[in-house]
Amino acid sequence: MTGLKSKFTDWIQERFDLSQVTHFVSEKKVPYFRGSFWYYFGGVSLFLFVVQVVTGILLLMYYQPGAQTAFESVHFIISKVQFGWLIRSIHSWSANLMILTVFIHMFSVYFAKAFRKPRELTWYSGFALFGLALAFGFSGYLLPWNTLSYFATKVGTEITAVVPIVGEPIMHLLRAGSDVTTTTLTRFFGLHVAILPAIFTVVLSAHLLLIQVQGISEPESWKEYPPEKKSFIPFFPNFVLKDVLLWLIVLNVLAILAVYYPWELGQKADPFASAPAGIKPEWYFLFMYQSLKYLPAKIWLFDGEVVGVLLFGLAGLLWFFVPFWDERTPKGLRNKIINYIGILAVIFIIAMTILGVK
Amino acid sequence: MTQRFHILLAVLLVCFAAVAFSENRDTCLSCHTDTGGAEAITFRNDIHFQNGVSCADCHGGDPSAEDMEAAMNPAKGFLGKPKPADIPAMCGTCHDDMRQDFEKGIHGTGLKNNSKGPQCVSCHGIHNILPVKNQLSPVSASNITKTCAKCHSSVDYMKQFNPGLPVDQYEKYLTSVHGKRNAEGDVKVATCVSCHSNHMIFAVKDPRSPVSPMKIPSTCSHCHNNSKYMAEYKIPTNQFDDYVKSVHGVALLKNSDLSAPACNSCHGNHGATPPGVESVSSVCGQCHQANTELYDKSVHHVVFQQQSLPGCVVCHSNHLVKPPTDAMIDFHPDSLCGSCHSDQPDDKAAPVIRSMRATLAGLTKGQAEAEQVLNQAEQLGMDVTETKYSLKDVNQSLIEARVKIHSFAKEPVSESAAPGLKVIAQAKEAGHAAIKEYYFRRKGLGVSTLLLTFVVVLLYLKIRQIEQKSKKS
Repeated sequence: MTGLKSKFTDWIQERFDLSQVTHFVSEKKVPYFRGSFWYYFGGVSLFLFVVQVVTGILLLMYYQPGAQTAFESVHFIISKVQFGWLIRSIHSWSANLMILTVFIHMFSVYFAKAFRKPRELTWYSGFALFGLALAFGFSGYLLPWNTLSYFATKVGTEITAVVPIVGEPIMHLLRAGSDVTTTTLTRFFGLHVAILPAIFTVVLSAHLLLIQVQGISEPESWKEYPPEKKSFIPFFPNFVLKDVLLWLIVLNVLAILAVYYPWELGQKADPFASAPAGIKPEWYFLFMYQSLKYLPAKIWLFDGEVVGVLLFGLAGLLWFFVPFWDERTPKGLRNKIINYIGILAVIFIIAMTILGVK
Repeated sequence: MTQRFHILLAVLLVCFAAVAFSENRDTCLSCHTDTGGAEAITFRNDIHFQNGVSCADCHGGDPSAEDMEAAMNPAKGFLGKPKPADIPAMCGTCHDDMRQDFEKGIHGTGLKNNSKGPQCVSCHGIHNILPVKNQLSPVSASNITKTCAKCHSSVDYMKQFNPGLPVDQYEKYLTSVHGKRNAEGDVKVATCVSCHSNHMIFAVKDPRSPVSPMKIPSTCSHCHNNSKYMAEYKIPTNQFDDYVKSVHGVALLKNSDLSAPACNSCHGNHGATPPGVESVSSVCGQCHQANTELYDKSVHHVVFQQQSLPGCVVCHSNHLVKPPTDAMIDFHPDSLCGSCHSDQPDDKAAPVIRSMRATLAGLTKGQAEAEQVLNQAEQLGMDVTETKYSLKDVNQSLIEARVKIHSFAKEPVSESAAPGLKVIAQAKEAGHAAIKEYYFRRKGLGVSTLLLTFVVVLLYLKIRQIEQKSKKS
């Protein structure tokens, strides 16, 4: 066995010099401390993305976009295709878990202040991946063409129209017309299976490359520590094996969720029916949706909804540019304002989501 | 002196008498009588004349004027011969309630749209109007049908108003029990106005009409449910009470199902007559066509004819038709078959009855069992919507099999039940497969969890081994 392995390695080595890669991997270290557990959420997000890609490709074998075929094809997948129910349920559950882990990963990076120089580009690419993950969720939600997804998409795309000047054209662009129709469905399908994956792959590659090149960020407190006080573990095999261990647990959680709580298909969308009572967007958009509901109809001279959407846009922009304005705060190393803003953001998102679910 | 006084008194009396006579004199009537006007002669028999209504009360003018021009002066309100469209208003000055009724009805609308339409004098006559109870009146019970027929039997006249309306009502009426009795002088039997009303007549499709489908039973019951009124005819008066409780009555009167039959659906309307023994199945067959076709070819048809039994009515009754149930096909005392047949070896029908009963039970019980299995699978979270939907086909089989009962043979019933039984078997199989799949998924999850846990434990041990090794080094 060992002979066969060395033969294979030699064969590769003769054609491609692997020494640099093996050297890089063997030398790569990962900081090891009490909070290093949060590092694994990036890896879990990546694993769930891979699950998404694999199950998505399998679903693509049977899924047929179109108002007359989308719902029927998904129903066919879950009722007739061997293990189709499992693949569809895992796809839906892993999509939601991926957005959750991406949220956790983003906030852990934020609180660890890992976005600071020289890792600004990693933060920007990560933020872009977060936005793309939400776009994946939004576009994929419509694809089964059931009542909930149809009306949630209608409400979701309607919100974009409140943005002054560009809102209406954006809504038309998203819907491929003035209303959510079969052309919206095919547009969302194209986005979900071609455009978004292509962009995501490029941004994800850049994100991973930056992490590998710059290494994993050390905790802020370590900057004052002498080198002997810092603890590291080898990236390979220690960190990788721990990553794999967590992935296997996540895979098992996914299987349990898919078997015990299969993702419902619901009723086929009827564009002529009135919207069911209490229609809500997916949980990851719920905090924004719920906040807009609390705003008064008029704030000074402007519509409350317009102000709300613009405020969320501004908050997103500030979040994106956190490496810029964080640097400019006077306290530097132990910048507590950043922590307070982050804690407020977490409390706000959780509270609004809970209120929205009720 | 005394003699002169007597002469003067006589002259004065003559003068007073002359003045008095000249003041009460109706110059319309006197002149038109003198000139031989038929209307003036017939008017003396008119109910209006007899009750002090003068010509001028309708036609206007001055009946006290001796001069013709003065008497017929428009300045004194003389109208002359009224236009047909104005007659209801003219009669309505005294008979206002009838005018209002007339104008609400279809005749009033007809007159409004077409001046040839019917108005008061079309039915009541002109100057010879008699009380309704007078047998000579055109609207008396003896004459009303002929009066209505004047227009309603005329194709040329009726097509001006409603070309689709039949014109054979009077001919049919004459063939009916009502018509025959009426012709014999029975004034108690139903005539046109008994059912259609008199002044306020509505189209049959108008729900306000007493002959609209929903109101027919109560209209007929007006006489036929009155035991005192019907006593001399010696026929039952429980038809309405039975009908209300029947499957037909509930469908029409409670569920407002206008396709359900009312009295006229079986008895006819203008040609109303009780269906004879021979024609019962044909009458029922108007709606229950398949049942009738099967019955007509069955052994029962022959036997019932031989015994002069009224076909469908033998099992289903006439006015009190109960909703059919599968329990009717059995031998117990309340069942239909059991009232003539017994579950004995010498009864040739016994195996057929048993077979038909078992086939129907196979479908109903099988459907319930399949539904139970599918519900169980659904409660376990399995998708069986398609199979559940296919189970609806069993109903079609059940309907067909129940109809085929009227062949009174086991083969046709079994043939109709076969597709339904097949669907039931497939549904049960799919339901059981779904339940099996449910447990397979859980077992599969258990196996995969075990495998994953095993690998996780191995990995954990490996990580610990590596970490301990690196600590030592």
